[in-house]
Amino acid sequence: MIKNEKLDLKEFYEIRKEVLQTWPTGQNVSIEEGIKLHRTIPEERRFARVMKKAREKRQTLLQPRAGVALIEDHIKLLRYLETEGQADLLPTTIDAYTRQNRYQEAEKGIEKSRQAGTSLLNGFPAVNHGVEGCRRVVESVSRPLQVRHGTPDARLLAEITLAAGFTSFEGGGISYNIPYAKRVPVEKSIRDWQYVDRLVGLYEENGIRINREPFGPLTGTLVPPCISIAIGIIEGLLAIKQGVRSITLGYGQGGNIVQDVAAISALRELAEEYFRREGFDDFELTTVFHQWMGGFPEDEAKAFSVIALGAIVARLSGAEKVIVKSPHEAMGIPTREANAQGLRATRQAINMVEDQVIFKPEDLQFEVELIKAEVRSLLDRTYEIGQGDVAAGTVAAFEAGLLDVPFAPSIYNHGKIIPMRDNEGFIRIFNKGNLPLPEDIMAYHRQRLQERARAEGRAISFEMVTDDIYAISKGKLVGRPK
Amino acid sequence: MEKHAIVLGVIGADCHSVGNKILELFFTAEGFKVVNLGVMVSQQEFINAAIETDARAILVSSLYGHGEIDCQGFRDLCLEKGLDRILLYVGGNLVVGKTPFAIVEEKFKKMGFDRVFPPDVDLKKAAELLKQDIKERFGPDSQSSRDNGQPAGPDKSNPEAEASAPETREPRG
Repeated sequence: MIKNEKLDLKEFYEIRKEVLQTWPTGQNVSIEEGIKLHRTIPEERRFARVMKKAREKRQTLLQPRAGVALIEDHIKLLRYLETEGQADLLPTTIDAYTRQNRYQEAEKGIEKSRQAGTSLLNGFPAVNHGVEGCRRVVESVSRPLQVRHGTPDARLLAEITLAAGFTSFEGGGISYNIPYAKRVPVEKSIRDWQYVDRLVGLYEENGIRINREPFGPLTGTLVPPCISIAIGIIEGLLAIKQGVRSITLGYGQGGNIVQDVAAISALRELAEEYFRREGFDDFELTTVFHQWMGGFPEDEAKAFSVIALGAIVARLSGAEKVIVKSPHEAMGIPTREANAQGLRATRQAINMVEDQVIFKPEDLQFEVELIKAEVRSLLDRTYEIGQGDVAAGTVAAFEAGLLDVPFAPSIYNHGKIIPMRDNEGFIRIFNKGNLPLPEDIMAYHRQRLQERARAEGRAISFEMVTDDIYAISKGKLVGRPK
Repeated sequence: MEKHAIVLGVIGADCHSVGNKILELFFTAEGFKVVNLGVMVSQQEFINAAIETDARAILVSSLYGHGEIDCQGFRDLCLEKGLDRILLYVGGNLVVGKTPFAIVEEKFKKMGFDRVFPPDVDLKKAAELLKQDIKERFGPDSQSSRDNGQPAGPDKSNPEAEASAPETREPRG
């Protein structure tokens, strides 16, 4: 049975031997060399440091997603986003084969990309490029660099990229499994991420602070805030236990401005509370807001509008970082020009609302309290079923559907809950499946959904969900009948 | 009339699951017997499912950009496994980067796909094309080539598929 306990170092090194053998580039990865390299990295390129400063100075930093198959091209891409896009923080987005540990196929993708003269991979195959290749990327940019991916078993990826000087690593045992994999047991992915966090903890013990960021948006499709927040807090707890100190918790834009701002407040307040409740007080907590993760309009003018709204709400929420989309989102991977355009549009919108607060504080407070009550019921039940242990509780909670992510591909997820938008675009829960939400809260959700049903002159139906999923790409927030 | 079986799935290492769930609901409502393999499906898994269910068509989705690599050789593998008449449809964001659809379509038709769809395709239209293509390729009342027009077995022509479709209406309110 899995426990939220610090991974024993002897056991860590035993697992490590096996992990490093899973691909030839793992052979000579050295944590000692990695630590030495990190000591030479100047402050302005250290992710944890820059995030902490953003919190102190109440800034919202901009970060795009980007990654291509070949090293030289990837460097050019990042430099372009730095100069033309004025990104504050840089990514290295990992390709989908590497995310599934399919390095052989990634190798083929590198080869075919060389032949084609363009990237046929949707990201940077960091494992195949190895420590040397990754180090060239790290040394070629002047902003903090993070690994962004979607890898259920990211142990080798973490070993290689951290040894190469990356200063932040995205993901977690739930958020990089349930939305990103089909048949990986939750217990297995939590274990593999305890390893990643322990590795980060080892660097920490040697004076190197690596930032960790659980992936908040999950499936990016009508995810009720309470689910995303509960899972983010669990992953934060699991990370801290292994020695992580710099944590950025995330949330994906839902679309209703009040609900989104409330969600970031609730996330911040409850994370502090639950971390302290487990006895931790020496952590650096920050938040990240993801611009709309669902389907985008194809029309680039309309896409910019979605991006700008995301920028504005990110700023109003006080998140320390915003993950930026591009006007090519509907078509898949953006060109570097489109990616930089997304950054510039975001910057403009953020600058214009920097000092504003525009809605009624009482409406906001109501939503904050609602979300907090929901998250508490999910987390408290998770602890309860794990007899006080959050790791054991998480595994049991997914088995029982007490934690449940809508529209996820994993067979270890119940997929029973049905979310939809209310008449004002708030994401509400119509069918809670087995989520342990109290009856009075569910009654409120249903009441708000009934308001919409009445306004649209139709019964609450599954059709509303599909309408909602495609609504933004078709120009509206709420999927109204034709 | 017997429902035509179609095989549905997201190819390769792609885990985009939302559209897949919607396609399943939609084609079930359109009267097909949908065999949904979900996400991260290999060419071989698509073909095995098509053979097992005597499917008329395989509908391949890809949203993550690796479609070009993942779909190479699909038609040849179908022929090799004896699926010489099966309809192959593909749709989604099929290549890395914004590319004019005509170029994408030509690329995948050369690979042997019968129809190629952009991500914003009108599903109604796709379903009509599918019905029409099945009629043309397999004949107006295309019966299975295996059981010589003798529908037998408990899973044929019964309303199971409809009954097992996700609830469209909740009794509670």
